Formats: sequence, C-alpha cells, structure tokens
Amino acid sequence: MIVEAGEAEARPKIIGARVQRVEDPRMLTGHGTFIDDISLSHTLHIAFARSDHAHAHITGIETAEAAAMPGVYGVFTASDITDLFQPIRATSRMVDYYATELPVLAGSKVRFVGEPVVAVAAESRYLAEDAVERIAISYEELGAVIDPVAAAEPDAPVLHDDVGSNVILTRTFQRGDVDEVIETAPVRVGDSFRMRRKTPTAMENRGYLADYDQGRRALTLHSTSQVPGVVRDALVEMLDIPGNRLRVVAPDVGGGFGGKGALYREEVLVCVLARLLGRPVKWLSDRTEDLMSTNQAFDERIEAELACGEDGHILGLRADVIGDVGAYSAYPWTATVEPVQVISFLPGPYRVPNYRGRVRGVTTSKAPMGAYRGVGRPISTFVMERLIDMAAAKLSIDPLEMRRRNMVRAEEFPYKVASGIVWDRAGFMECLDAVTERLDYPALRAHQADAREQGRWIGIGLASYAELTGLGSRIAVAPGMPINTGTESANIRIDSSGAVTAYFGIASHGQGLETTLAQVVSEELGVRVGDVDVIHGDSAIVAHGTGTYASRSTVLAGGAAIMSARAVREQVLKAASHILEADAGDIDATGGRIFVKGTDKSISFRELARAVYSEMGRLPREIRGDIELEATRTYDPYFGTATPATHLAMVEIDPETFQVNILRYGVAEDCGRIINPLIADGQVHGGVAQGIGAALMEEVVYDDSGQILTASLMDYVVPTAAEIPSMEVIHLETELPNNIGGFRGMGEGGTIGAPAALANAIADALGLHVNELPMTPERLFRLVNKQQE
Amino acid sequence: MIKVSVNGITYEREVEPRLSLADFLRHELGLTGTHVGCEQGVCGACTIILNGDSVRSCLCFAVQADGGKIETVEGLGTVDNMNPLQKSFQNHHALQCGFCTPGMLMTGIDLLRKYPLATDEEIREGLSGNLCRCTGYEHVVRAIRAVAEADHDS
Amino acid sequence: MKPPVFKYLAPASLDEAVAALADDEAKVLAGGQSLVPMLNFRLLAPSLLVDIGRIPGLDYIKDNGAAGLRIGAMTRHHSLETSELVRQRFPVLNAAMQYVAHLAIRNRGTIGGSLCHADPAAELPGLMLLLDAQLVTTQRTIAAVDFYQGTLDNVLAEDEILTEIQLPALPAGTGWGFEEFARRSGDFALTAVGATVADDVRIAVIGAHDTPLRLTKAEALYPDMDAVVAAARDAVSPNDDLHASADYRRHLVGILTRRALESAT
Repeated sequence: MIVEAGEAEARPKIIGARVQRVEDPRMLTGHGTFIDDISLSHTLHIAFARSDHAHAHITGIETAEAAAMPGVYGVFTASDITDLFQPIRATSRMVDYYATELPVLAGSKVRFVGEPVVAVAAESRYLAEDAVERIAISYEELGAVIDPVAAAEPDAPVLHDDVGSNVILTRTFQRGDVDEVIETAPVRVGDSFRMRRKTPTAMENRGYLADYDQGRRALTLHSTSQVPGVVRDALVEMLDIPGNRLRVVAPDVGGGFGGKGALYREEVLVCVLARLLGRPVKWLSDRTEDLMSTNQAFDERIEAELACGEDGHILGLRADVIGDVGAYSAYPWTATVEPVQVISFLPGPYRVPNYRGRVRGVTTSKAPMGAYRGVGRPISTFVMERLIDMAAAKLSIDPLEMRRRNMVRAEEFPYKVASGIVWDRAGFMECLDAVTERLDYPALRAHQADAREQGRWIGIGLASYAELTGLGSRIAVAPGMPINTGTESANIRIDSSGAVTAYFGIASHGQGLETTLAQVVSEELGVRVGDVDVIHGDSAIVAHGTGTYASRSTVLAGGAAIMSARAVREQVLKAASHILEADAGDIDATGGRIFVKGTDKSISFRELARAVYSEMGRLPREIRGDIELEATRTYDPYFGTATPATHLAMVEIDPETFQVNILRYGVAEDCGRIINPLIADGQVHGGVAQGIGAALMEEVVYDDSGQILTASLMDYVVPTAAEIPSMEVIHLETELPNNIGGFRGMGEGGTIGAPAALANAIADALGLHVNELPMTPERLFRLVNKQQE
Repeated sequence: MIKVSVNGITYEREVEPRLSLADFLRHELGLTGTHVGCEQGVCGACTIILNGDSVRSCLCFAVQADGGKIETVEGLGTVDNMNPLQKSFQNHHALQCGFCTPGMLMTGIDLLRKYPLATDEEIREGLSGNLCRCTGYEHVVRAIRAVAEADHDS
Repeated sequence: MKPPVFKYLAPASLDEAVAALADDEAKVLAGGQSLVPMLNFRLLAPSLLVDIGRIPGLDYIKDNGAAGLRIGAMTRHHSLETSELVRQRFPVLNAAMQYVAHLAIRNRGTIGGSLCHADPAAELPGLMLLLDAQLVTTQRTIAAVDFYQGTLDNVLAEDEILTEIQLPALPAGTGWGFEEFARRSGDFALTAVGATVADDVRIAVIGAHDTPLRLTKAEALYPDMDAVVAAARDAVSPNDDLHASADYRRHLVGILTRRALESAT
C-alpha cells in the first residue's frame, strides 16, 4: 500500500511534522559558530607552500628568507615533523587493493599540483602568505601520470614506488555467464561512458584549529569534519595521545557532502604543530586550496554493454570501469569507496540475471578521490539508465515501459543483486508510477510531439535507481576497512532541572539533525521538541561514533535515539508512578507533562527531575536508587535499507546555442517514515541541484601537465538559483524498512538520479547518444556537429 | 584610522590598508555572522550592506569604508525578534548549513528594496550571485517571494 | 588568499591622484570589483593603491542634449542600469547592463573601472565600441575603438586617469539588439553581440576576440544577413579555453549577430 507521506491517519504528532528547525535562529541572526568564528588567543595561522608540479622529486627547499619575515613564528617541512607523529594509511582487507602512504607534508616527492610541501606559522594569515611567497622549492620532474588509461599501462611512470603500479585496486562482481549471454542476445547496446571529475564545493571551506593543553597533555581539535569520531581515533594512533585526552569537535559546519568526511593532511599538521609550538594553530582553506586539495570524485570511465531479449527483458550486463583515484588513497574510506560502488550498484533496481562488473582504480596526479554525495551511484545510474534508454530505442519500446518490464517487483523482494547487495521491500515501481503520473508522462510526450513539429528540441528523460542507506555492521561503507560504520549511539539525559539533553556521535552539517533527532526524542520521551537539546559532532560525548555520511544518521542515530529515549521513558514512568501514586501502565507522558490517563493528575518533567534528584525524601531510598534518568543505547540495524527513487526531467535545447533549459523536473522517492517533510524536501532539492551541476556544468579540469585549471569558482561552475528549476517532489511510504524507526536514508538521492535523467532527456531531445557528462553547451555543439558531418 | 558605523554603533580602529572589510567585521569587531567563501566576489557569502547598497565585503578594503554606514546580518534581528525576511526564511526552510545564509539575507534585503520581484525568474536572477550548495534554492526563492508579496500587499 | 602589502591613498582631487600615480607601481582603485580579485589572487602587487572614489564630481550621468550623454567614470553600474536617461537614449546599453555580474558587483563596480580593466568578455567595453564613445582622460580624449590594445590592456599612460565617457546621441528610432550567451546568469559572456540599426549599422562583439570588436566588414554587408553573419564569424579570432572552444565561440558569434540584428529591425 502506498501512503503519500502526510496523508495517513493517526500519524504521530512530532515525527512527520513540519517542525521549524532549531538550528535556524542562530544561523539567521549571524550567531552560528563556524570554524573561523572561533578565536583563541595567541593563535598561530598557517599558510602552505603547495606543489606546482604534478609529479616530481623535491630536490631542495629554501626557507630562510621566509622564516625571517615579519610575524613568522616558524617554517616547517616534512623533515621537521617526521618524528612527531606516526604515519597512517587507508587500509582495507579488500584483496587486490594497495594502501598508499598519506604524508602530511610532502616528503621526497610530490604527486599532485596543490600538495602541501611547506607550512608557515605566523601571527596572521596575511603575514603567513607573505612568507610563503619567499619560499623556494626546487623540483626534478618525473614522468607525467595524468591519464588513468595511460597510467594503467605497465610501462607508465609510477606515483607510488612502494606499490609498484598505478593500479591500486581491482575488483570484480559477477553472476552467471554474461559473455555467453551477450554474444547470443537478440539485442545489444553499449558504449564507452565518461563521467568527469567533480569537487563537492561546500560553501564553507575546510578549516582546523588545534589547541594543545600542555599542562594536561590534552589536545582539542576544532574541525570542519563530518567524521569527528573517525578523526579522533586516527589521531590517537598518529599522535599517541589517548582518546580521553584527544577531543575532536566539529562546530557549525558549512556543508560537507562527503568532502569533509575524510582525514586531511592539514588537519594532522595543525595538531602536530600545536603540540610542538605550545600555541593554538589554525588553518583555513581558501577557495583555491579547496578546489585543488579537497577530495574529488565521480571521475570514471565505463565500457558497458547491455543485452536484452526481443521482449525487452534484460539478459545480461557487463562493464569495465577505470576509476581515476588521484594521487593518494583517501583516509579512511580508501580509494575503493567510489569505484567499487560503481560496479556493485550498476545493475540498478532491475532484474539482471547475468552480470560482470570489473573496476580498476588508477592513481594519477590529481587530488585524491574521496566520497562525494552519491558515491559511485551517480555514475552507475547514468550508465545503466542510458543503456536502458538505448535498448528501449532499439526495440522501439517506450523508456517508461522498458523500466516497467525490468524493474524488481514487489513480490521479488528481498532481491539479491549480482554484487551481493540485497534490496529489501521498497517502493521501486511505486516511485516510477508516482512521478510519471504526477507529471503526466503521456501529456509530456504529447507536448514533445507538438513541439517537435515546430522544430523545437524537447526531450524527456527518466532515471530510476535504488541506493542502500542506513548501513549496519553487516555491510561496510567501504569494504574491508578497519572502521565500524554500522552503529551509532545515543545518550539521553534528563538533568536536575528537568531539561533533556541528547548526545550523539553523528555530526550534522546542514541536514537539520538537531531538529529531526529532537523530534524523535521528544516523541518517544513525551516532551516538546523545544525541550530537547541535541548535542553532536564531538568525539568526547559518546564512547564511539563515526559521524554523518553515507545517509546513515537518521537510521542509526534515530534508531539509537528511540532505544535510548524508551529506556529513559521507562525510568520516568517508574518515578512518576510513585509520585503520582498510580501504576506505571496508567501513566503517559506527552508534551512535557506526565499524567495519569483519564485524570488531571500530572507533573512536569521539571517537577519529576526535582523529585528524583533534589528533593530528599520525596522518593523512598530503595526506589530512588533504582532510577536513572539517563540511558545510553547503541543501535546496529545490521543490514541496510533500499531507498529507491525515479527522476523525470523535461528539457528544451536551443538548436542554435545548445543552451539546455530544464522545463519540468520531478522526483518520487521512498524514504520510509519521514521525520520532517520540510527537511526531506530540502535534501531532495539540494541533491538534485548538485546533480544538475554534475550533469550540465561542473568539471574539475587538469591540463596535460597536471596543472589544475579550475582553481576558482568562475572556472569550476556550480549552478546558481537561475539554473535550477522548481521541482515537484513526492515522498512515498511503502512498507517500512525493518529498522527501529522505519526510516530510510535519503540525503544523497538527488545527485544519484539527476545526471542520468538529464542525460536521457538530452539524448531524447537530440535524437543522439549521450555518453559523457557534463553535457556543456560546448559538448553539445561538438556532438551535434559531429552528427551533421 | 577609520571610523565606521556598523548596525548603528560607531567604531574607530587602526587598520592596515589591505585588511578586507570582511576580515575587519569578523576579526576586528567580532561580527562573525558575515562569512567568507571565496575572496573573489563570486560566492556572495560575504555580502553586507554599505551605505544602503549590498556589496561584497571581500572585495572592499576596510579603509574604503571609512565614514560609511554598514549593516550586517547581526543587525537584522535577534533570535527572539527576527525581521520578516528572517522569519520567512525559517518558515520556508530556506537554509540548511547556514553558511551562505547571511549573504542571502543581505542580498534579499537589497533586492526587495530595489526591484519589484514580480516573478520567480526575477528572484532567481537576483539571487544568482549568491551560491548555495545545500538548498537547491527552491525554498530561498519561496521565502523571498513571500516577503515580496507581503510588501506589495501592504 | 590575502592580498600583498600596499600603501593606500584616497586623494581628494584628480591632480593629487595623478601625482600619486607617478609612483611606478601605483594602480588606480575605482570600484575594485575587478582589481581586488586580482590582488586577492596575488596576481598583482602594486606598491600603492590610489582610491579615486573620494574625488568629487566623477559620478554623474548628464544629458548633453543633441550631443548625447556624458557619464562620469566613477558612475556605478547600478546607476547606469537604473538610469531613465540611459534607458531612453541608449536602450541597448540599458539591456546590456542587465547582464553585468550581480547586484552587489553592480553597486560598486564603475564604468571607468570596467573600461580600463579591458576584459574582452565584459559588456561595457564592447558597448563603448558599439556606441562610438569618446573616452576623456586627464590628458586627452580617445575614441573607444582606439582604447584597447589587447586582453586586459588599454592605451592609458601610467599616470593617466579616465574621467568621463561621452556617448554621442543615436538618431531617433534607432533599432537595437543585444544578445549574450554565458554559462550562468551573471557570468562573463562566452560571446555577446550588440547591434544598432539606423542609417548606419553597427555591430560589436564581446568575448570572441582578445579585445571587444566592431565588425566593420560585416556592417558593410548589411542587409544581406547571411553575408553579415559569415563576415562576423570571419572577423573574430576567439580563444580556446576551459569554457568554450574557438569554434563554438565563432559559431555563437554568427547566431547572436543574426539575433541581435533581427531584434534591431
């Protein structure tokens, strides 16, 4: 049964409500606290001298002139800090994966333009940059390693001598005998697909402020991190400081999208120097540094082929993928995190009986590849959805019908994908039906037919996908890594004033988790949303937590919140039964009051807290001793849950300028039980906007010598309000997933579906095959011209 | 030495010529509501109002603002008493991470003063100098549209 | 990035400003919307910035009667954008102003600054060529068509300051068109074309050459549209860059020239 979210009877009052965000007042009045808003006295500011060579030995570094500049406290190279920490590598148990080193400052060689080589610490950033200009680094160039296809050849210059090859990962998933099936299939379509490199481009650049207390030998790192727990655990190893004296705390963070979900070299550097120099040390990335050195993504080359029967049913799918993983394997997710997901998710939400997907990850002189919203699935969806449309065209089947014939149906759940991923029951077909119905697909096709008569280039594109969210311990976010991503904890406490505080290991950075988790806690506990303060993003407040990434926080932290709140509620009722002199079963709590059902006997949470904590004699000793108004619970959903969606786009292309105009855009997704529809809508809008950017305009460009050309926001082009259309968003709720809250993660879907939908719409508009994104006007010009030749 | 009025309060400070107005507001005056996203004038996060006009505080030196009247996001309202645009942003969920928000608000205020904003297209054009990676802009447009319509009605 | 160290002077008169510019490494600061980004990238390191924003009498749009308009060099883009005089007398200029960056940039940026910065993809330099502007400096008057030497390069001496732009009146009933193609709203033009049609035909191209360009050869072929368009494409030597190839820019020149002329007639 489909329930359009918001329509069901007897909906809980708080979960599902359009509660205004608790984050908003401080953000709207300029009282947020972002990393650069934190001021510690005597802070030293860092500026880096970064490599302007793509692959070279460092033969000399002159720092004396820089060190003598006004306000400079010190100038540091790798040799100055090498004894001050233990190096770290992004390891994985995955076979055929080689973990590259991850230096803090470049040691004997540099491997990409933008790699930090020298750190200057000065009284201000202005002065530090003046000194950086006086640093002279001499290089001996080594062979260029720019094109991953060339870099994968056996005779290519190698970036990591200890690995001995640029191919640092190989992985294959297969099922059945796909070669045989494809050879004999009635219908075959295929091509070489290319998705070009992106960078997350959060509006706030990265920044780190380390403060070492020499008396307590304790380090506090303020970090724009999505993963404070991960960073803390890594730094414990690197700096040999125990976790109870090493605190990583994320203040308000201005967006992340995965780019801030890794450990960064600059992050380690400020900690090392703070401990060495006895003063707080701060580094803020400027925009150019962000574009050059924040982890990049989506850079994949896919040779793929799809085989179908005459009736349009998929018989087999095979793909060979090269992922350009940049110069280092990012920590902790490793260079495998995106490339492997390209092939593990390639079959999409369809029945694919025979499959082989093989991927190689190749190092090149570019910023490391990390996780960016959608992680592999934007690419796999682009490829598969193009193949579906190509097969549909060959068979003269409408693309909608083609998807209907092949999509996994309700009765087939749980469905095991060739890669081992299991889809639990979710609204795959329902999403396809919902968006095509809402936007009136037949009417769009009719409109297109009319427009074509007038010589207008109008195209319609569908994209269906499913992603796996809310991963429990059974399924690692990146396979074989020594990090548990499958659990999160909640500690909920009612203090002596009756106020409720809920502590979490996740790290909200725009998703509104302070609000949604407060909604969950308040509903379960029986207080109002405004009574709950959600504290997050701090490694010191839970025993273990990793952070916010991979669309997990609602499922995992929400689940832990429910468990913990229920435990506290039980204690509340136990205490209240004594105070109100009734059985716990006759007592309820809601809206901040605890009452005996059917009577007007009630107390507030404040009164209850006072009775338990402060009013001696209010409760008998043996009762009080048995009551704890605090509970910590850890939730592991064990598996993950499928979050499907279908995107539908209608575009018009100017036949002369090749400008792409998005006329209509719709999304239907099943995100399970929605906590806050406002926030859910916002996530879809934002994800789709990034997907539109990825499809039409965003591209990180390095030239043949490895110089990055997109070093400003005029060159790396992200969409403005004028390029993003209004969208129709439908949230469906089919059968709730089997996790405590019935939630599904849904923050990444926009980037997963939009590039594919737009690629299909553009192909449909032109009647030409689209195999490359972004489809800029320049590329459209060349595509159309090539066709006309 | 410069003298500026910021949100109605006058400050006199010694500044180096190259100190940006953004850094002056943030670090000299502690008004950290104005954010720095690019230092190139492209992202719009640093937008403030100087002598009645929205400007990029990253492209202005503090010395250039001498004698000027500056309005920043901190002057729009307090958490207990937000102005109509701030309230509209909250009602419409027009912010997520909040980093671009002060710039959006100050641009919004200047757009509302200077342009009729009769259509969404006009609003979107007007906002096109303020980049946001979180919201996809839809709710920001709705928030501004609501205030524009209320202004027209009144 | 932070800019390098510089001294700052805000003179109260043009004479003072000119004297200060005698210093080799001094640069004029007007609106700062083009200069400051370059300083913030450390692409420039002037020893002295001479802020001409405090000099009175440089910010005006004056009706010069039959002779057209006189515009002070410190006139902000937003003033031009909203000027009723400009809208009536030079609607093509009014149209072009809608494309100039964004409001915050238009509030500070000046016509003088834009013209002197000489970005071939900026709207105003091209409009000056289209409108046969006369550029008045502290030393002389220069025809707009003689003002540009190359990308970001003008003919001004180190201590010469642009003070006024004179736009000769267009005949009543002049048709006009302005077409711009950019990657996003407010971006620099990949290519833009402005055209006026009266007794004479004028076509100016922006963003497709190392300077803005008057397409005099194409103009002469009017009203044979195909010939005009072909000549327009031939006249430009566009760049290959990150955003567009020379071929695509050349293609756009043809398209936009046709569209601008169709609007104008």
